[in-house]
Parts: sequence; C-alpha cells; structure tokens
Amino acid sequence: MYAQAFFVAVFGLAAIGFGVVVFRTSSMMRSALALLFSMTAVGCLFLAMQTEFLGVLQIMMMATEMSIMAIFMVMFMMDPGGLGGMDMSHQKRFSIGAGVSAAVVAIAVALLSDWGPAAEQVVDAQAQTRALGMELLGRSMMIFETAGITILTAMIAATAVAIPVKNLSSKDGKEASE
Amino acid sequence: MTVAIVLLALLGSAWLLAVVEGWMATGRLSPAAPLFRGLAHLGRESIVPRSPDRVFFEAAPVLLLVVAVLGMAVLPLAPDLIIADLGTGALFVNAALAYVLVAVIMAGWGPDGAYAMIGGWRFLGQLIAYSMLIVMPITAVAMRAESLVNTAIVGSQAGLWNIVYQPLGFVLFYIAAMALAFRAPFDLPSAEGELGGGVDAEYTGVRLAVLRLARLTLVVTLASATTVFYLGGWHGPLLPPSAWSLIKTLAVAVSMLLVGHYLPRIREANLMRWCWVLGIPLALLNIIIVGLLILVVP
Amino acid sequence: MTSVSPINTTGSRQRQARFARLQKWVSRAFARDLSCLIVPGQDVAVAHGLNVSATGMRVSASPRDANVLLIVGVLSEKMGEVATVLYAQMPRPRTIVVLGGTTPSSLPGADVSAGLSQEALADAVGRLKRALAEGAFAVSPMDFDASVLHARIEYVCPMHPEVVEDEPGSCPKCGMDLVAREAGEQTPEGGHDHEHHHDHDHSNEHSNERQQEHAHENAATEYTCPMHPEIVRDEPGSCPKCGMDLVVREDGEDEGHAEHEHSSHDHGEHDHSGHEHGGHDHGGHDHGASGFMSMIEVTKDLPRSADGLQMDWLEVPFGPVFPGLAGGLKLTLTLDGDGVTEGQATSLVGLTSEGENFEASDEMDAETFIGYLSAAIPLAPVSYRLLVCLAIEQAAGLEGDSANAGARTGALERERIASHLGWLAQLGRQLGFAWLTQRAATLQLQVREANRDSLAALEPALRTLGTRLERTPLLKSRLKGIGLLPTESSDLRGPVARAADEGGDAWARLRQRLAEISASLGLIKSGGEPALPVLRDVGDVSGTGEATVDTPRGEARLSLKLERGHVKSYKLDTACSQHIGLVPKLVEGQELGDALLAVGSLDLSPWEVTS
Repeated sequence: MYAQAFFVAVFGLAAIGFGVVVFRTSSMMRSALALLFSMTAVGCLFLAMQTEFLGVLQIMMMATEMSIMAIFMVMFMMDPGGLGGMDMSHQKRFSIGAGVSAAVVAIAVALLSDWGPAAEQVVDAQAQTRALGMELLGRSMMIFETAGITILTAMIAATAVAIPVKNLSSKDGKEASE
Repeated sequence: MTVAIVLLALLGSAWLLAVVEGWMATGRLSPAAPLFRGLAHLGRESIVPRSPDRVFFEAAPVLLLVVAVLGMAVLPLAPDLIIADLGTGALFVNAALAYVLVAVIMAGWGPDGAYAMIGGWRFLGQLIAYSMLIVMPITAVAMRAESLVNTAIVGSQAGLWNIVYQPLGFVLFYIAAMALAFRAPFDLPSAEGELGGGVDAEYTGVRLAVLRLARLTLVVTLASATTVFYLGGWHGPLLPPSAWSLIKTLAVAVSMLLVGHYLPRIREANLMRWCWVLGIPLALLNIIIVGLLILVVP
Repeated sequence: MTSVSPINTTGSRQRQARFARLQKWVSRAFARDLSCLIVPGQDVAVAHGLNVSATGMRVSASPRDANVLLIVGVLSEKMGEVATVLYAQMPRPRTIVVLGGTTPSSLPGADVSAGLSQEALADAVGRLKRALAEGAFAVSPMDFDASVLHARIEYVCPMHPEVVEDEPGSCPKCGMDLVAREAGEQTPEGGHDHEHHHDHDHSNEHSNERQQEHAHENAATEYTCPMHPEIVRDEPGSCPKCGMDLVVREDGEDEGHAEHEHSSHDHGEHDHSGHEHGGHDHGGHDHGASGFMSMIEVTKDLPRSADGLQMDWLEVPFGPVFPGLAGGLKLTLTLDGDGVTEGQATSLVGLTSEGENFEASDEMDAETFIGYLSAAIPLAPVSYRLLVCLAIEQAAGLEGDSANAGARTGALERERIASHLGWLAQLGRQLGFAWLTQRAATLQLQVREANRDSLAALEPALRTLGTRLERTPLLKSRLKGIGLLPTESSDLRGPVARAADEGGDAWARLRQRLAEISASLGLIKSGGEPALPVLRDVGDVSGTGEATVDTPRGEARLSLKLERGHVKSYKLDTACSQHIGLVPKLVEGQELGDALLAVGSLDLSPWEVTS
C-alpha cells in the first residue's frame, strides 16, 4: 500500500510538473509535448491506482492526440520554436482567477465528497476489463454510442468545412495535393 | 531472469536483422559487420546541429528504443516467458507503439533542419493512415480470444491460427506494422532519396547507434506482435515454445525487410487515400466477419 | 603501436593500457565499417565503371553517416568547395580518397590517392583500412578549416536593410539594435550543400525575432508593440505587456504594420545562410480583437498551395550531392510545408561553367578537343565523342563513314543502354527501391564495355528487368501523373519528347526508356561490334562542320570551326540545357516527393548543361 501511495504521489507530481512546463516554456512544441507527458503521467497514475484499462487507454490516446495538437500549434501559432522570447500569456488576471477558483472547487470536491468506503482489494485487470465491456455494451451503451456518432459527425463536418470550395468541382489536381 | 532472457532475445534478433539487412544491401553475409558498425558508431564524433532543441534531439532515439523494449515486454515468447503479462496486454502494445510517433516528431523537430522536420511531420501523416489499421485488427483478435491478455490470445489460437481465421486482419495489421516501423515501402520520414536521410540524417555517434538499434528492435517488436496475434505465438510441434516464437518472429521480420527491398516507396497521398477509403472499411468488415464467426461457429 | 591520448595525462599506466586496447578495437571497427560519400555522385561513380560496394565500403546518403569522402574524377572549383563543406560535416575520424584527380585545394591532403578504376579503388580501400586501423586515434589530429566554411557575419537593421555593418551596434537611422545575419546568402555556391553547417564552423547567434516594416515614408516616428497597438512610445524599447521590441509606427495610422519572421522557418533558415524571408511579402495583418496575432492572420495574403493550407515559406537546397538527384545538380526549392511553391535547378558541373571559354588563342587540335569534351561529360562520353568526330569529319569534308558506321552505332546504342540503366538506378535511389538500384547498377557495369556477344547474353536479363518493372505493384501508382509538363513546352528532346505523346508523365518516360533499351539491343544485333569512335585522319584542314547525335538524353548539336586541323571555336547545344529550364514549371505546386521525382524523370545530366 505504501508503494502504491508512493507511485501515485510520484506520478501525480510528474503530471503537475509537466503541466507547469506547458506554460513556462515559450516553445510551442515543448508545450505540446509537455502536455503529452503530463497526460501520460496521469495515465500512469491510473495504472498505479490499479485501473489498468483506463491507464493504458489514457496513455495510448494522449500520444496521438497531443502530437496532432502539436502540429496544429506549429501551423497556427507564431514562433513555434519559442526563440522570440515573447510572453504568450493573455488575460492574465482573468485566467489566474479562473485557475484558482477551479482548483479550489476541485479540491473541495475531492475532500468533501463522499466517495464511499475504500476498497481493500481491487479485482484483477482481466475482470475489470470484462466488467467495463459489459457496462459499455449494457447500461451505458446509449451514452457511448451517441458520443461516438457525435464525434464522427463532427469529424466529417470539420473535414467538409476545411475543403476549399473551389476544389470540390475539380476532380483533378486534388490527387496530387496533400 | 525472464527480463534478461527476453532482452537478450531482442538484442539477438536485432543483430540478426541487421545481418540480413546487410546481406540484402551488399549480397554478402557478414555476421560481424553490425557489431563493428555499432562499435564504430560509439567511437565516432557526436555532432550536435547548430541550434537544436536539445531536449528533443537527445530524447528521440532513447524514446524510440524505450518504446520498442516496452512493446516487447508484454509479448510472450513462451507461456512463462513474458516480462509483464498485463491484463490489457494487447492494448498496451498499441499504447507503447503510439509513442513511436512522439519519438519521430521529436527527431524531426530537434535538429532544426528542413529535411528532418519534413520527415517528422510526414510521419504524422503516415500515422493518420496506419493507426486505425493497427487497432482494429487487434480488436478482432481480442474478440476471438475474449480477452486482452496476450497469453490468452496465443492460447486461443491453439487449434487454428488467426492468420487462417482472420486473414484480412492479418494483411491489414502487417501493412500497418510496416508503416509504423517506417520501413520501406513506408519509409517516408527517413527517405534517403527524397530527404537525404530525413529524421535519421542529423544523428551521429552514440545517438545514431541508439537510433539504429531502436529501429531494428522496433521491427522485431512488431514482428513479435504479429506472431502473437496472428501466427499462434509459441504453438508448434517438436521444438520448445520459445524456439517457435523466435523462429516465427524472425520470419516475419525478415519478410518485412524483403517486402521493403522489392517495393518502391509509397506516395503519401496514395497511402492515406488507400488506408482510409479501402483499409478502414476492410478493417470494419474484418471485425464483422470475426464477430459472425464467433457467434455462429461453435 | 601505443596510442597515447594527449588528454589522458593523469591516468595511470594501467588505465592507459586499457584505453589503448579499447582504442585498438574501435580503430579496427572503423576500418571494418567504411562508409563513403561519393562526390559528385554515385551515378558518376558507376558511369566510370566503379562498383563501390564490391570493395566492402557501403555508400552513405548523408555526410553524417560517412567516414570516407570519395572523390571521383576531377572536380571543378565549385564542386571542390562543396566537397569541403561535406567533409566538414562528416564526423571524425574521416578520410579522403581521391580517384583519378587531385585533391581540391580547400581540402586537406588526400589520405589515399588512386587512379580511376575498380582495381585502383579496391587497392585504395585496402590502404585506407590500414590507415584507419592505425591512425584513427592520432596523437595530435589537426583540425581542418577552410574559408568556404566561414560565413561572414554582418549586422543589419531589421527596419533599414540598407544599413549593413561589420560590428554589432545600433542603427544610425532608428537606433534599433543591429541583428546578426550571415552574408552571401544570395550566391548558391557560397558553401552550401544539402545539409546545414557543422556547428564548429559558426559561432554566430541569430536573433530570431526579426521585424520588418513596409516601406513607409513619414516624418514623426512613434514606437508601438505589434501585438498591443495601444502601447505607443516615442523611443524604441520593449513593450511593457509582452516584452517584445517596439517597432516604428506610422503616425496617424490605426495599426502598426509589422511583420514578424516566424521562427518556424528560422529553423530552416540556418540551412542556407540566413535567407531573408522578406522576399515574400507577408502583407499586412489585422490585430484580432484581443490583440492576439495568429499565423492565419499573418499568412492571410500569401498565395495558397494546392491543399489549401497557408504555410510559411522555406527555401531549401537539394543538392549538389544529394542521393536522389544526379551528382552536380542543385535544386533550390521553396517549400510551403511539404509542397513546392517555386523551384530552380542549376548545374555546378556544367560545360563552360568554369569559365573555360574557348578563346581564339586557345586552340585545341582535334584529338585534344575530343578528349576534352568526352572527359567533361562522364555520363555520356561516347555520344559526345561521336558528335565531335562527326562534326570534325564534316568540317574536313569527309563523306559518311560506312565502314565504321556499324561500330559507331553499336557504341552509341550501347551507351544508350548504359545511360538508361544509370537513370533507372538513380530512379531507384530516389524511390527507395533497393532492388532496382542494385540490379540496374549491376547491369550498367556489365553493359558499359560489353562486346556484342556479351550484350546478346545480357539481353534476357535486360528484358526481364523491363517486364518486372512494369509489373512492380506500387511503381505505377507512384509515377502516374507525376511530372506532367505544361502542354506548350517546346523543345523537348529525346525520351522526354517521345514520351510526351504517351502521356508525358514520369511513368510514360520510364516506359519510353525501357523501350529504347530494347530497341538499342536490336540495333546492336544488326549493327557491328561496338567500338569507340575514332577520328579518321583529317589532316590540316579548315572549315566549319555541324553534326547532330541522338544522345541518350536527347539530341545534341555541335557546330565547330576548324582551322588547319585545330578547333578554333565551337557551339554546343544539348538537350539538358533546354530541359533544365523546364524545372520551375515542373515542380510548381507539387508535393516534395512528387517534385523530386518529376525532376528525376527528366534525366537531367548536369554535365551537359551549358551555361
């Protein structure tokens, strides 16, 4: 149990640390990848808390997602290398206020909620995965299916919006692009 | 103990693969050549480009090697020869291999050079193409095994290997695995003819040795994953289980090298089109077929 | 041998001995792991009949992975500088092997010098191995330096580009700090090659935050922050909100127009001596409501590429020693992400590019001229030899040579086959198609000096190569539709012209060249034994002569003036000189890989480009 607490603490601190790096660095790439490793640390946190599926899923998804975020940051932001030394933060007062109040709310929720009795033993990962699968395709099916379809619709819509209108009528030349 | 054996097997397979690679390039079989090459790399000057992103430049080869080893850690060579038999083993393989992208992007961004950068971002485009084709066949494999545990997946193939049960999934996974390892014909990030080496180009000395080792072990890991998921892992007559695993893994790895030798590099636009227009529907079809087979066939 | 490292002065005798043993093993490893970078290019080496990998060396694509700089043939001065830059980029220990020429002056002495033949190369490699095994950890290695590696640093004012100083300081006109910049980025041969410079060459620090202004004339100058237009000061300084340097602003304008050089491309700028991005006008931008400036706004007015994404532009050189392109060909592409917006090709090894213009006083007799021209074009020496012979014979008034015609045709067609095989090998290198490169190079080496019977024996192999290629799975989809020339392109010659009717893309050119190989085999069978064209005895005649030869890359026309058996002047018109002008149109708007393939499909021989 002490080992578990130790690892939870380590990964939690790592997540916070990387999160701080996200905002301290002025390089867009470092910011994006620091966020990636922060999320990975959260995933490892899940692993330390013996929710294996969630942990592995978190680690897997974040790699791809954050890398794509990285390329979008490079595309749309000035100075992705961070060598200009510009201060990239805006609306400082508002964001500090929002951050502090969100932290207060989160800590309040964490401390004051009734999480129920702590489980002495957690079922092993195989049983957990099985239970998760049953839940997903049983009681929670509607939620996840709806979410899935919504995301798919959003993807298709975003792609359709991104295609320049004038290219829709001309078939040739589109092959050679991208 | 198992850790040592698995790592040794990994290293040995990487060495064998390097020998085969050299044989295909020169026509001569020289077992000592990769060893000398590695030693020479270690002895050479390590050049750092003029204004790199130092963190990324140093971290990329190491991360690539770590990823390959982590992937291998959850793959069984024998029923008792697995470093960590995770409950979500099949998913973990995918999770670890997702960080290949991160490593290649770091290697592309780090050296601060046009060739490396183009190579790195090209790999992101390649990922968009292959990532679904890695996950969906694994889903179908896990469906048959009714478990994500890698040893269980191998166990489910005791009667019939998955390559016969779900050949479509095998083909897609094999192609996607080559794309993930960015070997020919999918070597867009490190294209010699187009990018002068791309992400590989700026590394010298120790880092280059680590990078080359990482790339070879990545192929071995992916070959091992193919073996575990589709070729029945350690099942086979006469020889001990670990021997079969190694034979099958090496066969798949060498076949990947051969395929790359005899095919030209794919065009990125074609790769993305084919994977999304053809590959993903086929992967979904594979899942449907496997589901039907599981439900219908006793 | 005792290698005593000068650094290891405080070690014990034991430690030195262990160190020495390790060094011995590593030196042995160096000797066993030879990797060469061929200057000017691998295609040239094969054209000279060298099979580098047969000697045990592997060919490297990048100087970072090479430890032997293999110089094949005589290098011009420009290529010598290129070789120097490449040498500087190789990690140590590094060696130089010169075959068939002298070491360029800017390089240190060659470690091994040999003639231009396979046996000489094998012998050189043997000597090299011994040299590396013994001397890899030399006691006092000399560092090498060359003037071409130094970029001169000058200091310019970001707002007043005409202000250029040699020392850092302030601009006399506006008082801003001068920004360091490498001089000479305009000249393509200012020490460029296909990679950026070794870090020990440059100690300059770029300031990557540059600001440029549109040219406005005004009187009163105020300074504003580009991101916070509400900050206005009377003197330059830093913005109190974000820390950026203030820029000059028009009095009375609502917005400060400042352009920012994006550090995303500053990364790539280090490749080519600080290419100023100001060449591409970013246009004005608006500040968003929150004063936040994004790439969308800044690249608003840039032309869009074919995929609709507006990216920052980056000028990247490819060549002159690039694994996918012919040796000596330098392609400068302006990239927009991974798409090409502009491109330009130049040759660093072209004819008369040395300034060796034919002066009236500098006559050559006929034989010397033949030797000169065929030596200057290593990729097609026989064709040009034949061209000169025909022209001189015509000038001398000799009739068509029926006796030797068969031999000459045979030699010409044999060279055509070899040249097309060399192009196939180069295509293989570009496509990462290892089998094709190996097969084509092997066949090329065999065909080069084969007699008629050997060629007949090679015919099945050549035919299988063709059929296999046409059936290779991914090749057709790779090449189809690539390299289309605009329809009004005139003066296409050779295979490019003949393929223009079949679709005019890279696939058509491939099939055309394969067909020409078959046709050449047929011509050789019906012709005579191939023999090198020999000039018939013309004596001391005078006259003008003209000849045309269908070289492997297209028609070449030579007209020369003979005076008493000496060539007084000549005019050479080659196919590649015309084709190289097609490159800008060819690569515009293409993805990088497609653009390089398109250029490759033209089969440009930079040696035949006349400037």
